[in-house]
Amino acid sequence: MKNDFEKLTSSSAEWLTKGKFEDDMVLSTRVRMARNLEKGTFTNWSDEKGLKELRDKIKGAVLGTKLLADGLVIDMDDHSELERMMLAERRLISQKMVKFFQNRSLIVSRDERLGAMVNEEDHLRLYATDAGLSVEKVFLKVNLLDDQIDKKLSYAYSRRIGYLTACPTNVGTGLRISTLVHLPGLVHNNDIRQVIDGMRHVRLSVRGTYGEGSEVVGNIFQVSNSITLGLSEQETVKNMELHLRKVLEFEKKARDRLMKEAHTLLKDRVYRSFGVLKNARIINSKEAMRLISEVRMGVGIGILSDISLVDLNEMLIKIQPIHLQDFSGKVMNPEERDIARADYIRFILKGNGKA
Amino acid sequence: MLCQFCGKREATIHFTNMVGNEVEKIHLCKQCAEEKGFDYLKKSNIEKGDLIGGLMGFSKGSVSEKKPGNICPNCGMKYAFLKKGGLLGCSQCYASFSEQLFPLLKSIHGDTRHTGKIPSRFGKEVSLERKMIKLREELNSAVEVENYEKAAVIRDKINNLKDSKKDGGQ
Repeated sequence: MKNDFEKLTSSSAEWLTKGKFEDDMVLSTRVRMARNLEKGTFTNWSDEKGLKELRDKIKGAVLGTKLLADGLVIDMDDHSELERMMLAERRLISQKMVKFFQNRSLIVSRDERLGAMVNEEDHLRLYATDAGLSVEKVFLKVNLLDDQIDKKLSYAYSRRIGYLTACPTNVGTGLRISTLVHLPGLVHNNDIRQVIDGMRHVRLSVRGTYGEGSEVVGNIFQVSNSITLGLSEQETVKNMELHLRKVLEFEKKARDRLMKEAHTLLKDRVYRSFGVLKNARIINSKEAMRLISEVRMGVGIGILSDISLVDLNEMLIKIQPIHLQDFSGKVMNPEERDIARADYIRFILKGNGKA
Repeated sequence: MLCQFCGKREATIHFTNMVGNEVEKIHLCKQCAEEKGFDYLKKSNIEKGDLIGGLMGFSKGSVSEKKPGNICPNCGMKYAFLKKGGLLGCSQCYASFSEQLFPLLKSIHGDTRHTGKIPSRFGKEVSLERKMIKLREELNSAVEVENYEKAAVIRDKINNLKDSKKDGGQ
C-alpha cells in the first residue's frame, strides 16, 4: 500500500497543471495565514517535548476540520532529506522545514490546493494555492479552513495588533498573498524596473521565483503583499488584485507592441527557444527556465500552438533537481542531471508536439 | 556530553556565560544552536554573555536581569537576543516588549492597529470596541466642524453602545 508521501508525489501538482488558464501571465496564486496557539512558546523557542505536544494537538484539530478531514498527513521525521526537498520543490513545504524537520508535519489535500504546515516558523501555516489569478477565491478557501480550526484551537491574538506571529513582520492578519507572474514583455522593453518600483510604492514586494533572496529566472516574478497590520484581509485581497491587474495590463501592452513592431524578431526568438528545448542533449535548469519562459510567451500570444501552457507549467516543476532524480529513478550529480533534464524535456515535447 | 536543550544529541558547541560572579557553561548540539540562532550570534561582536542570559531563561536561575522590558516573564526571551534572532519566543512577548516593538511595527507596517479578522472567542467584544473607536472619531470630526446636531446623535449612539456592553459584557 502506498503511504501518503507516495500518493502525493506519484501524480503531478494539480494546482499548477489542471487549472483554467484565462490568464497565461499568472502561473499561480497562493495565500497563506500564519497562526499560533495562545498557550506555550513559539516553535523556535520550544523544546522537543513542547513541539511534540503542539504537533499532536494541532494535527488533531486540522484533521478534525471538514476541509482537511481526509487530508494526506506527512510527518517530516519519517522522510529523508531528499524526499523533503521534493515536497519543497512542489511548494508544499518551506525550505525551513526541509532543514528543521523534527516534530514538523504537513497536512495537505490530495489535489495539493489546500494545506497546513505544523510547527513551521509559526505553529500553523495554512495555505491555499491555485492556478492563474484568483486571489479572492483562494483567500476564501484558506479563510474557511482558518474558521474551522478556530473552533478547535485557541489562537494567540491581541485586540490591538491582531494575530500574534513569531516574526513581527507577519503580525496582524498573518496573511501573505503571493502570485507568480510571467512578465517577459516588460523585461524585454525595459519597463520592468519602473513597474517593480511602482509595486513597491503600493506596498507590494517583488522577488525572484523562489521567494526571498532568490534571483529572477525565466522572467517569472513573485509578487506579494508586504504589510499585514492596518489593512483588513479584504482590503489586502482587493489591493493585490487591483494592482496586479494594472501590471498585467502593462505586460499585455508590451507584448502587443512587440508583436506589432518586432513580429518576425519575436517569432524567431520563440522558435529558436523551442528548437533548443526540442534538441538539446545537455541543459542546466537556468537555461531551461529561460527557454521555457520564451516558449510560454509564444504560446500566450499565439505564435506557437505546438504545446499547451499546462505542459509548460508542469515542466517548470519537473525540471527541478529532485523531481528529475525521481523521474530517472536514481541520485545524480549536476552533470548527469543536465543530461536527464534535456532527455525529459525532449520526451515531453515529442509526446505533445506535432514536429 | 548531551545538548542542554534537546537532551538527545551530542553537544558540540560550548559557551561560557557570566552571571554576576558565577560562571555558567552552556552546551548545545549543532542543530539546536542553529535553530536558536547561535550560528548568527557567533558572527556578531556583541558580548556573548549579554545574549545568552536571555536564551537560557528556560534554565531557571540563570537570568540576572529581571527589569521589565528586558525579558519576557512568560518564556524567558530576552530583548537583546530578540534583536539578533528576529523571532519572538511566545505570544506574551508582544506585551513584554511592547515599548520596543511598537515603533518597529510602525516602521514595518506603517500602522499599529489590526483592523482585520477576529477569532471567534473574541468576536463580540472586539467588534463592539471597534465600533466605539469609530464612533468616537466621528464624534470628534462632527464637533470639529461644529455640527452639534450630528454630534448629539453620535453621542447617544455611544451611550447606547456602552449600555449594551455593560449588559452583555463579561
